[in-house]
This record gives sequence, structure tokens and C-alpha cells, in this order.
Amino acid sequence: MLLAILVWLSLLFVDLVRLFGILNELESGIAQEFTWTLEILFFLTVYLFYNYSINKNSQNDFLNLIWRAASTGIIAVFVSIIIDIFYSLLGDSSLLNEPFLRNFFYHVNFALISIFLISGALLWKHLILYQKNKRVVKQWQAYEFAMLIAMLFIYFNKNSLDYSFLFGFVLLVGLGIILSGNLKWIPYLTFREKWKSLLFLFIIINCCGYLFYQVIIYNDRSRYVVNLTDNLFLVSLFSFIFIYALFCFLVTLFNLPTSSVFEQKLTEAISFQRLSQSIQPEESEEQVLDILVDSCMSASYADAAWLEMGDGEGPKGILQERFLNKEQREELSDLIQNLKAAQDWAVEHRPDNLTPLPLRINHSQFESVLLVPLVINKSAIGRMVLCKEVRDGFNKEMINIISTFVRQACIAVENHRLLNQAIQNERYQEELKIAQRVQKSLLPTKLDHNDTFDICAYSNAADEVGGDYYDTFKLDEDRYVMIIGDVSGKGTSAAFNMSQMKGIFQSLIQLNLGPAQFMIKANAALSRCLERNHFITASIFLIDTKAHTICHARAGHVPTLMHQVKNKKTDYLGIDGLGLGILRNMQYEKHVEEKTFNYSAGDILVLFTDGIVEAKNEKSHQFGFERIRSLVEVYHELSPKEIQNKIIDSLHAYVGGDGLIDDDYSIMVVKFSE
Amino acid sequence: MLTIEKQQENSSYILVLKGEIDASNSVMLDQAMQDLIATGTKSILVDCEGLEYISSAGLGVFMSYLEDFQEQEIDLKIYALSTRVFEVFKILGLDQLISIYANKKAALEA
Repeated sequence: MLLAILVWLSLLFVDLVRLFGILNELESGIAQEFTWTLEILFFLTVYLFYNYSINKNSQNDFLNLIWRAASTGIIAVFVSIIIDIFYSLLGDSSLLNEPFLRNFFYHVNFALISIFLISGALLWKHLILYQKNKRVVKQWQAYEFAMLIAMLFIYFNKNSLDYSFLFGFVLLVGLGIILSGNLKWIPYLTFREKWKSLLFLFIIINCCGYLFYQVIIYNDRSRYVVNLTDNLFLVSLFSFIFIYALFCFLVTLFNLPTSSVFEQKLTEAISFQRLSQSIQPEESEEQVLDILVDSCMSASYADAAWLEMGDGEGPKGILQERFLNKEQREELSDLIQNLKAAQDWAVEHRPDNLTPLPLRINHSQFESVLLVPLVINKSAIGRMVLCKEVRDGFNKEMINIISTFVRQACIAVENHRLLNQAIQNERYQEELKIAQRVQKSLLPTKLDHNDTFDICAYSNAADEVGGDYYDTFKLDEDRYVMIIGDVSGKGTSAAFNMSQMKGIFQSLIQLNLGPAQFMIKANAALSRCLERNHFITASIFLIDTKAHTICHARAGHVPTLMHQVKNKKTDYLGIDGLGLGILRNMQYEKHVEEKTFNYSAGDILVLFTDGIVEAKNEKSHQFGFERIRSLVEVYHELSPKEIQNKIIDSLHAYVGGDGLIDDDYSIMVVKFSE
Repeated sequence: MLTIEKQQENSSYILVLKGEIDASNSVMLDQAMQDLIATGTKSILVDCEGLEYISSAGLGVFMSYLEDFQEQEIDLKIYALSTRVFEVFKILGLDQLISIYANKKAALEA
């Protein structure tokens, strides 16, 4: 700005010196071109200053921009009027014809007009380039370039009005008119803002006119030797500022009646956006429904509305009530209920086809209602009722936009519910993982044994948790107990019963009971714990490594496989025994047996659960007892771990790559070495 | 898959089981049993000719009614079990508690 003032001052000085020279018929030695150069410099510095100042100003809303142009215009006009008044007050005094003073005021006027025009043009640039595309930017650049040439034009044209001047003028005006077609900012003004901008534009047009008139007057008076304003650049700018202001004025004026429609559409778009992004996991559905009712009411200019939720998950009953009380709502509900169209609508078999239904009703206040269904996941979860005081108040466009709102809100609600469900599920998964960990810890990590036999075991649950159980116990240095058990059913209920089983086995084992006695006690204890339709099967082995005997009892469990080196035979141990929890009285004693037999070095015991036997391949054939038997027969020389792996691998191979074994299965292998 | 068909013959009811009984459909069998007990009949026959598989949950259903039948003196007979299904009954020891017959004729005559 300072630079601009300096340039202006030097321009003033140079011109005064020139004037002095001419008046005194002296050659001042300063060419006309020097004036012009300073003039152009002045234009450029003003341009740069305003370009910087407008860009820096962050509050560039349209009204502010127009106000800036208008205020600059007012100042320029005001100063010019004051100068005029000053002269008219002077009357006939000698000062009137004092050329130096005249010239000074002329320069002041010139500076203000230039500032008004250049700042105005830059402000218009902001308006024109609102929502710009490449073409408009190109046009603007072309215009600026043409203006630059127009500034320099003065060197060729020597300030005379000839055809080249006219040609340039027409060209620039043409460009200005083309640019003035860009008025995209106007619809974004609200109704009030439009009125204000009309006022400002009116001021600008008048300022423009007045200042132009002033310039013409100056030109007519030949008093001024120095002519600064008769310049293609300034004249073209005048025309541009004037044309654009006029265009804006007219377009804004004609836009006034439709502005409410545009505002309505804008509100709808914002409502839509709010509906689609409103719901967060921690927020409630009611907030969405609240926004929905408000949006729909404003979209349809409804006078009252309510929203009720029916069956399904989520909140129920009347959730939103607008501009009507309970009695009115019930009156309306009854009236709607009695209309045949509404009844047909309500029993629509395919809720996903349900569309909003406009109805006429016979009510003292409201004459038309619109029933809007809320459909989530192909089932109606509720309805919204919009009421208007005029007959047939809902047109097709309103119904369309309301349907869109409702659909969006329903999606938001549905997403919200799904998200909550997902969070819930994740928590359950987490709980199940904990259960899984706890259950794993119920199975022994270290199996009791001494040097005379080797042992290994493996268990796998079909679900996260299972009902299989195995355990070992050391009675003394030579006597060990091995147990395997299976709870009926699978999954969580089986897992709970399995933990009961472990508790009971661990307590009874301390009592040093014989296998049959053990089963009888276990049956009595479990009968009190298990649900009526649950039972447990188990096998127990009491191994005496000193006497080389095994004492065995079976309670409904799948028979145990034994390989005997002595007679090179692999067979299932045949022994009768009823499952635990089936007979819940003393009668159980009659149904359990106990057998003792000898073993020798190299003999193998394979304990397992029915999950292995009943595993099916894709043809629905079971793995069966026979396969296990032949596997043990073939691999009896391997270590227990190797035998176990052979059986499990062969089981998986049998079931098939992707085939899942849909029951819990466990296996324990014991091999005597001494 | 499990289908249960109810037939009435004189004063006896016959449940015809077809398919597989596992944890997911053992409730059907349980319901059918309860319905029969509600009729007040003293003789229930179960036709297992079409029964291909029974899981522990299915066995649990039979087992859970043993005491009720004893108290109410209801006679439960199972017949025409396939070898594999009979094996399951036998391993658990249920063959000692429930009367199991080779076929319908044997079951009715017993």
C-alpha cells in the first residue's frame, strides 16, 4: 500500500511539474510516457495490494465481498462529491481556476476511482471463480492478460479516441460479458442475504455510473492537460464492473422467488447427510429417529407427526411426538385404523414392498395424513405418521424424498443394531476363549507314571469347549490310576458337566476304592449333579506295576483296546457296565463289573472316546472300532506317542481334508516297557 | 435329519423313527415321548428300523424316561435296531434296562 501511495505521489509530482512546464511554456524535459509508466505502476501496485489483501482475508463470504466493493465505491463517490461541493462553495474566487489545485484533486479522484475499479474487479474474480472449472479459469486468465495489454495500450494510442481504441474496448467488453455469465454463487445466498446483496449491488451500480459520469466531465473540460482517466484499461474496467454488477443484480432479483425452494433442497441434502452419518455405536437409535422425524416434517411442511415402533428388537411404543398431544394422536390413530386403505396397507404381506400411503381423513384439525413404514431387514418395525391441516397435502416429490429419508434412517438403525450385535458377539467369543482356557487347564499337563510304562494322551473339542475328560493319579510308588470319560452331548453344557466329573473323580480317587466301587460312588454322586437326560461314560484302570496286574471297570464307555504281546492279539476288553447317571438308585450296583488281568512287557492299552469311532467320512461311514484295532496291530512296536499320532493322522485322513469331526474326541495310549 | 411318525395299534402306540438322532433334533424325540405319556398309554413301542445313528443326546432322551416309565408302569419296547445302533445301546448298558427285540412281532408277543 505504501508503495502504491509513493507511486501515486511521484505521479502527482511529475504531472504537476509537467503542468507547470506547459503553463509557463517551458520544456520541463519530462515526456508524456513517463506519466503513463507511473500510471501503470500505480495500477499494478494497487492490483498486487488488493490481490494480497483479499486472499489473506479468510472471511470471504459473498456478502462481505460485495460489501467491500460497495464501500470502496461509496468512499470514492463521497470524496468526489466533497470536491465538487468545495468548488461550488468557492464561487468565483481565483482558486477556482487555479490549475495546480484542480490537478491535485483530479489526481485524488483518479486514485480513488482506480482503487474502486481494481479492487472491484478482484472481488468479482472471487465471485466468478466460485465453483470454478478449467474453462472459466482460462477465460479469466485471458481477461487479465487482455487487461494488461490494455494498460500498455496507451503507449501506442497516445490517449486519443480512435478506431483501435474502440476495437480494444469492444473486445474487452465482450470478454467481460462472457465472464459475467458465471453467477453460480447467487443460489447459495439465503433469502435475507439476497436482499442485502441487492442493496449492495445497487450501490455499486450507482457509484459506477456516477464515477463514470465524472470521468466524462473531466474529459470534456479541456482544462486538464494531464489526462489519466481516458484510458482503455480504466474504461474497460468500468464496463466490466458495471456489467457484472448489473447481471448479479438482475439474476439475484429474479432468483428471489425461487430461493426458498433452493434452501429447502439444501436442507434436505444436509438432513440426508446427518441421517447417514449420525449413528455411532454409543449413540441410541432414538437420535436417528429424532432427526428422521424433523427432516421429514420440514421436507413435507407437515403440521404434526408422530413415530411409533412395533415389534422386533429395540425400543417400543410412541417414540416421537411433534405438535400434537396424546388425545389428538389417539383420535387420529382411531380414524386411520378405521380406513380400509390403511387396513389393507397394514396387512401387506411383503413389508419390503411397503411404500408411504397418503390418506384423507375426517378430523377437525388435520385433513390429510401420510403413513410411512419403517422397514428393517424385510420386516416392518414401526411407522411414522405425518399430519397436515390441508387436504391432499402430500405430493409425489415429498413422498419420494420422505421415502429416501426413511430408507436411510432404517439403514442407519440396522447398521447400529448389527454393530451392537457384533460387539456383543465379540464379547461372547472372548468369554468362550476364557472358558476354553479354563477347560484346557482341567486336563492334566503331566501324566503320572513310573519307569515301567510310558503314557501319552490327546484331546480335541468340536466346539470351543468339550465334554471329554482324562486323568491320571498316583496312588503309591507302584499303583497308578488311569481314567477316561465322556459327557453326553457337546459344547458348553458338556463342558460344565465335565468339570463336575473331574471334581468327583479327583475326590473319589483319594479313597483308594476298587474300580467297581469307584463307579458305584461316582454314579451316586453324579446322579445328584446331572440333569435328567444327561449321563457320563467312563473307564477306569488301576495298574499295579509290581504285581503286573490291571484292574478295570467300565461304565458305559466305549471298550478299551488292548494289544497283548504274549499271544500277538489286539482285542477290545469285553466287560459290562452301565453309564453313570442312567440309573440313579442303588440298582446301579448290579450293573457294574470289575475285572483283573495280568499284563506283560510290550503290552499296549488304547483308551479313547466315541468321537473317534463315530467320526464320519463324506460317505457317512464311521471310522469304526475295526480301523483302530488294525492300526494298533500294525504299529504295536512303536512308542505310545507314535501310535497315538498314527491313529489321529489316519482319522483325519479318513474324514477328509476339510471334513470336520463334529464330536469331541480323546485318546490315551499306555505301553508297558518292563 | 429325523422323522418321527406316530401309529396306534390296539392300546399300544408305535413311534417310527427314521434318520439320525443327534443333539440338534433330540428335542423332537423328547416331545414325541411326552405326547405319548400324556395319552395315558401303558405300552410304547419304538420302531428303529430306519434309525441310522443315535448320539449320546438321543440316548439321553430314552434314559431320562426310564424312571417315569417304571413309576407309571409303562412298558417301553424297542425293536428292529440296526447292528450299529444296537452296539451303541449295548456299550452304554441300556440293553440291560430297556427291552430290545429283533422285530415288531417279537416285541408284541413278549
